[in-house]
Amino acid sequence: MISLPSYLIISFCLFIAGLTVMIARKNIIAMLLGIELILNAAALNFAAYTRFINQNLDGHLMSLFIIVIAAAEAAVGLAIVIRFFQIKESIHIDDATELQS
Amino acid sequence: MFLNIMFLLAAGATIGGSFLTATSKNLMHACIYLLLTLFGVSGLYATLGADFLAATQLVVYAGGVVILMLFAIMLTGGVREFVNKFGIDKVASMGTVKTYSIAGFMVVIMSFVIMKILAPIFKSYAPGELPGFSTTVEKIGTLLITDHVLAFEISSILLLGALVGAAVISRPGRTR
Repeated sequence: MISLPSYLIISFCLFIAGLTVMIARKNIIAMLLGIELILNAAALNFAAYTRFINQNLDGHLMSLFIIVIAAAEAAVGLAIVIRFFQIKESIHIDDATELQS
Repeated sequence: MFLNIMFLLAAGATIGGSFLTATSKNLMHACIYLLLTLFGVSGLYATLGADFLAATQLVVYAGGVVILMLFAIMLTGGVREFVNKFGIDKVASMGTVKTYSIAGFMVVIMSFVIMKILAPIFKSYAPGELPGFSTTVEKIGTLLITDHVLAFEISSILLLGALVGAAVISRPGRTR
């Protein structure tokens, strides 16, 4: 049961869910949730390949860097969202039509 | 056997949480389901033998990113129609079967992760010899400052830039 294809299937489901969230939702924060799901799918793939194919720990390092980058992305993205809400009074993605207000 | 059960629980939490994140209408509920998904991914890391990665996943995501998301949702009023439920005259119930089952999932997975981390301490060993460490922390730390030292430094600069950038962008009264 614990084999590489099962982990790849789980990672695929995570990726599809994240892509669905990013495409279908109109809320900027919900799109950030989708980005988190996609990054988790990539990190899970790295860890699974480290366990079953390659026994050294480079994949764990890559997953660690993915977690770091996801944290930084969430901080900056949410700062942009809050600033956008202060200007536009909305977090709908269709209201983001101009770069400078 | 135990590992199989843990794998099934973690996989169910991951897949179910991700699809509920994609389909739930309320943004706050979606964020809580994202938390369930991240707990499930942490359990999957533990079944893969990546104990440090599982602990980091719990600390960074469940402790940092999801709380940040919840703060942003509350600050921007994304669930404005939901807030009315928590009025003075209408006390919210302590939870339903769904919330308790989600909490049970998280408790099981987190206890498994903690047990996986603490396993070398409780392992019985012959007296007179030190217990052999089977964790990945030492190897990861060695790799982090030998082979991947450039990526390590670049990520530190990236984190500093993200910190300063987030503080500058979300500053309330910007003078132009």
